[in-house]
Amino acid sequence: MRIRNLILCCAFGAGLLACTSQPTVSESLQSFAGGMPVDLSGSWERDYSRSDDIQAALNSTMRRIYRAPSDVTRPAPPQNLDRVVALARFADVITQFDVMEITQDDYEIKIARKDDFTMLCEFDNGNSKRTESEFGAEVCGWNGSQLTSYLVLPDDLLVSNRYTLSGDGNSLHVATTVSSGSSRTPFTINRVYMKFEPPESDFNCIETLSMKRVCSTGEIVP
Amino acid sequence: MTRRWFAVAALLVASAGFAETARDPAHLNISVALFDTGVPENRALHRDLEIFPRVRKIEALYLPFVLRKTLTASGEWGAIRVVPDSDVAAELLIYGTIIRSDGDVLGLQIRAVDASGRVWTDNVFSGPTSNEDIYQAIADALLAMRQTLDERALRNIIETSLLRYGQQLAPMAFDEYLQENADGTFTILRLPASNDPMLERIERLRGVEYVFTDAVDAKFRELSTDVATVHELWREYRRQFKRFQQEESLRVQTKPSSFERGSYDSMMERYETYKWDRQAAEEQENWAVGFENEMGPTITAIEERVEELEGWVESRYAEWQRILGELFELETELPD
Repeated sequence: MRIRNLILCCAFGAGLLACTSQPTVSESLQSFAGGMPVDLSGSWERDYSRSDDIQAALNSTMRRIYRAPSDVTRPAPPQNLDRVVALARFADVITQFDVMEITQDDYEIKIARKDDFTMLCEFDNGNSKRTESEFGAEVCGWNGSQLTSYLVLPDDLLVSNRYTLSGDGNSLHVATTVSSGSSRTPFTINRVYMKFEPPESDFNCIETLSMKRVCSTGEIVP
Repeated sequence: MTRRWFAVAALLVASAGFAETARDPAHLNISVALFDTGVPENRALHRDLEIFPRVRKIEALYLPFVLRKTLTASGEWGAIRVVPDSDVAAELLIYGTIIRSDGDVLGLQIRAVDASGRVWTDNVFSGPTSNEDIYQAIADALLAMRQTLDERALRNIIETSLLRYGQQLAPMAFDEYLQENADGTFTILRLPASNDPMLERIERLRGVEYVFTDAVDAKFRELSTDVATVHELWREYRRQFKRFQQEESLRVQTKPSSFERGSYDSMMERYETYKWDRQAAEEQENWAVGFENEMGPTITAIEERVEELEGWVESRYAEWQRILGELFELETELPD
């Protein structure tokens, strides 16, 4: 219930300062007709040279805080700075993966991230559909050719990922913004991924129920 | 040509007579149609309803045989056959739709209709964990209904069944015996003579069809042990997943976070809890894929048998209908 409230809160742009400085959930939950606007599917590996350095991103955020008009006469309280640093550490850790595999059809987009859970974007006849449990919720939406996924967690913790495909379709820019109810300033980190063809494995593997994953160099007969 | 003459010869050889009337009418033959998977077309609903279409497809093939086993064990019925399609001429036909199957609870919508169109049951049978309880409840419901029918009513079902089967193959000969009522029930207008040659042929053809169905059934029984073992494993995993969800929920509710709200540790704790929950859900989807992979060859074998049966019945029906039509004309034409 609390998670649903947060989504509604962001949708109306009230109550949460974090929601005013980044795309709100409602802005991005646009429906689409027919197929999805952009095909993001494929294997993607991180391009470190074009991705943000966490320290540089944090410095930039700090400079913004101190430059903000409201802070000219009253410097940002230390508590808020601690929170921003916490957000930066959090954002850094949850975007550590260097490889992701995206699959999509007209109903869903799955973003499998190495060593993390697979983010899920579900759609029902082109309308965003929330994936929800009592521990959090995920919802995605297309904003033109950009896909934005939202992960809403308790304590007003919100993680949004905005995916933008380059014109040639070979690189994917992912802007991850994290915000929480206890920090006035959200933190954004940018990662860039390059498309790659995963090498063919020497093994043929299948999942089974009784023997788990079964691999062989030859043909597999369950 | 040879095959055609063989078929004609088989139809012309006299049978042992109207044997159906000699059996105990209480022991009706039952046809159990393969279950409807109950999977909604809208894929967006599958995750919400915890439906795994791959598993449902296997269950729709497998669970009718579990029902058949329970009914057979009761010793209260005649032959019990699982049939690929609705055998409308069956003495008692059971349709089933899986409405829930999550390891904890199995829910089946069961409709049983006899050949005269009388509905025996049209209810949801559901229960926790043990499938056997549900099948026993279905068997009990059928038995209770049968006990309300007297011998004449039961014999009427058997006769109607044969006449409806005859109607499918030789409508020109059997239409006059039956009347379909507005409410979908059937009334016997009159019976053919017990030594009616056309009736004898119909009985013999039905016997041939049953032999083939039974062959498919026997093949499945060889394979059903594998399905049963893996299906039980699937149910056990699902139960474990449910327990994990409940324990996690309890843990989160009863042990509030010791970290300060908004701190890095607090955020990571929230994230990790969600991550574990989602990964557990992903694991379920992997189980469903694993179930299908493991049962793939078994299911393919069943489907091939079913396809073989359907193709065989379809081709034979056309041949039988034509031959019976020719025989009917020969036997009823007036002498010059």
